[in-house]
Amino acid sequence: MPIILLVKTKSNDIIRGMNSFQANLCLLCVTLCWSTEVIIFSVIPDSVSPFATTCITSLVGALLIFLIFRKRIIDEVSGNPKKILLRCLLLGIMNCAYNLLYLFGLKYFDVSSGAFTFSMTAVVIPVILLTMRQKVDLKTWLSAGFVFIGILLAIAPTASVGQTMGIIFVGLGCIIRAVYIVILNKYANENDPVTLSSLLSGIVSILSVGLWFAFDPSGFGKIPWNDQIIASLAIYSFVIVAFAQTLNIFAQKKSTPANATIIYSTEIIFSTIWGVMLPASMIDKTPLTLWIILGVVMVVIGNLITIIPSHRELQDES
Amino acid sequence: MKRRIITYLVLIIVYLILAIPFKGLTIIPGFSDIRPVTLLGPIYALFFGVPGCSIFALMNLVMDAFSGGLMWSSIAGLIANFIGPFLILLYWTKYSKTTLHLKKPGNILHFSLTLIIVAVIQAAIITPCVALLYPDVDWKLFFASVVFNTAVFPILFSTPLILLLREKLGFKQIGYVDPAVK
Repeated sequence: MPIILLVKTKSNDIIRGMNSFQANLCLLCVTLCWSTEVIIFSVIPDSVSPFATTCITSLVGALLIFLIFRKRIIDEVSGNPKKILLRCLLLGIMNCAYNLLYLFGLKYFDVSSGAFTFSMTAVVIPVILLTMRQKVDLKTWLSAGFVFIGILLAIAPTASVGQTMGIIFVGLGCIIRAVYIVILNKYANENDPVTLSSLLSGIVSILSVGLWFAFDPSGFGKIPWNDQIIASLAIYSFVIVAFAQTLNIFAQKKSTPANATIIYSTEIIFSTIWGVMLPASMIDKTPLTLWIILGVVMVVIGNLITIIPSHRELQDES
Repeated sequence: MKRRIITYLVLIIVYLILAIPFKGLTIIPGFSDIRPVTLLGPIYALFFGVPGCSIFALMNLVMDAFSGGLMWSSIAGLIANFIGPFLILLYWTKYSKTTLHLKKPGNILHFSLTLIIVAVIQAAIITPCVALLYPDVDWKLFFASVVFNTAVFPILFSTPLILLLREKLGFKQIGYVDPAVK
């Protein structure tokens, strides 16, 4: 029985929706969860294909959401199954594509520079929105500007000509991710977020099987199964796939793609904190240079502009 | 009655799902580990009342028993893990002048402050017992680890989880009245 049926309430009486400040906080929490990926996976040997971990965790996450919200998902899918499946397939393909490009691009950067380049999505998205003839407000441009300056400050001192291919891969990945976020935002407003989250995870899992066997045919047997690896995969499935992804889609309903992407850029801040504070046995240590500190400060300013609501916004929403 | 039993079973399963994978992340062997499951304390209290607080406290004891960490100090742990969520429930349903709506930064800071105070109270209940019964344990580290576990995870994750449950999934938060409706 789905949990939602256990509570004596008429959902329509309760659901009044988040305001944009709450949605931004949820997105911040989602980003915090995503940033722990490197810590959770630190016990998994490099020899295990990243597609294997994506496949397993997405499958477990999808099943978990499905088991809890079975009735809700079946009701939503039975309405127009072809439409929602095609939408999730499109999102799944885009998700795999940008992750694949990031994976190739990362080989040209060290960990901290790589994390900063990923956040170029925050800068790309206002431009993508403009090309789609959508309005982008001044606050978003300001935030994106600060994030862009932050990225430049952090990566420019160590950039070299040899990283050109890496920049191209990551740049393409950022463009695809930006379009993905815009589309996800649209679908989150039209479909049930729980259903989207479950189907999307399921499709990503199926697509990852293909990539897993294409890049690493040895497959399942190569994973050195032990308690720690099982625990890591379980934590990733619950926290990052089931919880963070579902929360992300719910929050997207109230947020804009531009706001969401700017908040996603806080992953740099969290990653830098983990890289400085956690022991080398858990994570690749980040050398804390003045440029990286300045870069992080700029990203923080960009985010504060987006997250903290103005007095007028609060009044409008109350 | 059947509905209530199923609800309690679900609460137990959710606790186990979140507690078991993290069991290996130890701070003080046998005494303290990293426990993100503490984020469920305020959730169980605010959505399921006293039964929720009781399940949270009992499951903490059960996890201690199954992980070989069951000691005399676990009784203090049981009491503290009931009192903590119960205080949150009591404060936000009886004593606070504002409802826990989490719609404005001030309300979220207010909620975070109560979580920190409750974490300190919980640590103050358990630490003297550990210090008296097991003098070898570094009580300062133990106190800090209890405060960290009991404050940081709820502060980071409870707010979005409460919003998700209340605003989007239709769960009823005890004593909640939407300020926009009031």
